[in-house]
Amino acid sequence: MLKRAMLTLIALVIAIGGGAASVWYALHVQKGAGAIGVGSWTAFPDIGTPQADPYTNARVAREGVLALGRAEGLAFVAEHDSGGRPLTKECTYRLEGHLPIARFWTLYAADRSLDVIKTGKSRPAALQSYQVVREPDNSVRITASRHPAPGNWLLTAGSGAMYFVLTFYDTPIASSTGLSGIELPRIVRSGCDA
Amino acid sequence: MRNLLYAVLVGLVGAGIIHILVLMLVPELSERDAWSRLAMASDLYRMTPLEAETGGQPVVKSVDPLFLAVACRFDLREGMVQLKAPGKAPFWSVSIYDRNGHNIYSFNDHSATNATLDAVALTPAQMLEVRRQLPDDLDGSIFVETPIGEGVIVLRAFVPDESWRPAVSQFLRQSSCELKEL
Repeated sequence: MLKRAMLTLIALVIAIGGGAASVWYALHVQKGAGAIGVGSWTAFPDIGTPQADPYTNARVAREGVLALGRAEGLAFVAEHDSGGRPLTKECTYRLEGHLPIARFWTLYAADRSLDVIKTGKSRPAALQSYQVVREPDNSVRITASRHPAPGNWLLTAGSGAMYFVLTFYDTPIASSTGLSGIELPRIVRSGCDA
Repeated sequence: MRNLLYAVLVGLVGAGIIHILVLMLVPELSERDAWSRLAMASDLYRMTPLEAETGGQPVVKSVDPLFLAVACRFDLREGMVQLKAPGKAPFWSVSIYDRNGHNIYSFNDHSATNATLDAVALTPAQMLEVRRQLPDDLDGSIFVETPIGEGVIVLRAFVPDESWRPAVSQFLRQSSCELKEL
């Protein structure tokens, strides 16, 4: 009798504990179903639409996200550089390459919750396309660093893990067919503070 | 030993069932979704800034630091809702979300007459009524037909740099979200 009760208890603990833990795990990993990767960048074109998968729906409900619509824009997040190493605030990165067609885009450095990094200065850790200087072939080269840099400088601050968020507004790539064959900047690590 | 293996197996199957159940229930039961957070901050048909201007936690995370956003909750069962904003901004966009935070429809300033925001969200039944007799003040409006009840409208505006911030926040402050009865 006691043995049977023990076995039932074990089954229940595994069911409830395992079920709850696996949902928690699935909702806390950065990559989920429906992700589209371009180089180091990841986007979720379906987030916040009725077509989204149940995991994305649950994440939207839990975090109170109001995702950008198709006519608004599409955001890409990078957590690794082009060499596959995680981005950190101690390092200097060069973002270089061509960007897809959009009315304008914004780029900002974010912390784990994808909020913009607080720089403690009047210059935010954000840039937008009207502010950047372009190369002769219309590509852009941006230096993201804690220290001033010539050319396009994205100020970062602090230490620890960092993310880049690149959002294109009023762009044809936000429709799902527009995403094939687009090109996004490479992220090259060019040095770190000791 | 066989019994133990059996119990673990039953547990794993149960875990799978509970995983699916919890996943389906999270959107239904969440008290942290955008609608609930807005409900705590303000009433229906009240434009609410999504940023925390006083430095507290923002009402709903609106993510892009170069944007300002306002939102209002509406209920189409009470009547149509009209969204208006006089004035101009470098770029604005509007999204309509249902109760669960799904983006139902979005448009931006290129879709609007003279880039001035004037939009009406309404159900297909209300659309039939409006077609029969178009009220004068809805003459130049964008009509968004959507079969939802409760929902959220978000108006986002681009702040190219700090010097634009007063003008853009003025644009958003002047926006209105109004219940229109037929």
